[in-house]
Amino acid sequence: MTDLDQLAAEYALGLLEGEDLLMARSRIAREPAFADAVAQWDARLAPMLDDIGTIKPGPQLWARIQAEIDAKPDGGAEVIEMAALRQKLRNWQVAGTASAMAAVAALAMFVLTPNQPGTPTNLPTAAPLVASIPIADTPLRLGVTYLPDRSEMLVSASGLSADGVHDHELWLVPAEGDLLSLGVVAPGEERRVELSPDIARNIANGSQLLLTREPLGGKPDGIDAGPVVASGSFSTT
Amino acid sequence: MERATPEARKRLQEAMVQLASGDQSALEYIYRATSTKLFGICYRILGDRKEAEDALQDVYVNLWQRADRYDPTRASPISWLATFARNRAVDRLRTGKVRQNAVPVEEAAPMPDNAPMADDVMIDSERTARVHTCIETLEENQRSAIKTAFFEGQTYAQLAEAQNVPLGTMKSWIRRGMAKLKTCLEASE
Repeated sequence: MTDLDQLAAEYALGLLEGEDLLMARSRIAREPAFADAVAQWDARLAPMLDDIGTIKPGPQLWARIQAEIDAKPDGGAEVIEMAALRQKLRNWQVAGTASAMAAVAALAMFVLTPNQPGTPTNLPTAAPLVASIPIADTPLRLGVTYLPDRSEMLVSASGLSADGVHDHELWLVPAEGDLLSLGVVAPGEERRVELSPDIARNIANGSQLLLTREPLGGKPDGIDAGPVVASGSFSTT
Repeated sequence: MERATPEARKRLQEAMVQLASGDQSALEYIYRATSTKLFGICYRILGDRKEAEDALQDVYVNLWQRADRYDPTRASPISWLATFARNRAVDRLRTGKVRQNAVPVEEAAPMPDNAPMADDVMIDSERTARVHTCIETLEENQRSAIKTAFFEGQTYAQLAEAQNVPLGTMKSWIRRGMAKLKTCLEASE
């Protein structure tokens, strides 16, 4: 087997952890040949799952799934927009013309205009601020978009994966005073975070962000924050 | 188990494409057709009914949000969904929400009820048999490590520790085993 195929097999089996896992995830996003090799291994291994007997889940589970979907803001509209956006991002990536910043900015535009069919020119009155934070020793970036109009922040950690031992917590460095926690980053997800007025008023063009490594669940009370693994700052697009 | 009918597979594939375009009714169809299989997988990996139900809920909600990840040109819908469920369940195991070592690998069957649902049995039995034949050609240490990794979500480091062998030894067992598995599967295609 080639090295690429071997790594794909290891990824598909779930043997990797830590940096190896992060690197493999980022290669899936960037290297179609590697993504193909992983998909092929998934397909080779999937029949092993056929031995497992079927079991009926509880009768209430479908209702729970539906309730969770219905409880999402904007119902399904957001999902559809996000799907369309991802398709666009993929097209850009294929064309090789998109920078991470452009991608984050585009994401912001989508979030600003959900649920407003017929008013596609619903532009924000205050421009979003974006930060693209490189993760040490990897080609990965954490995308953070702040939407002043909504006091909301969008954190995109799509390429990141959980190592099962640590969480990463995002911090705002205010002009003065202690670091303000912006919460634990959800690996592999794009997540909206509502910001309290206290935090929102401390965010400005040039505000610095830090990412620290913490125990699962984030920094425990009464203990100093963990090591800083990445940093970046907000800027207008 | 019954052979997958081409019709059942095609209907599921269509439902996945519909879902990717935002049609929520397609999700209900997919759930009816696949939930007993995917629940069996989640239960097998997590070893706890409540955890498995939470995992299954996560699988379908996530599927609804990201149905566009499925590429019909690359995989059959049921294989893809089974892999998706397995990976989500393993992620859940890894984040430490669940006790480790849920079910020992050789005691695999968790009281399957084999609920007879029309579209549920979408298994390509020839393909399944081929994997078994090929797995059996591996040496015992290779086979057991690969199965434990796959069904219990264990990493290289965990496998090496459990077997009390150096990490490098475990890596070479698995790498040789996977290379052999690939050669065998390709030869029988």
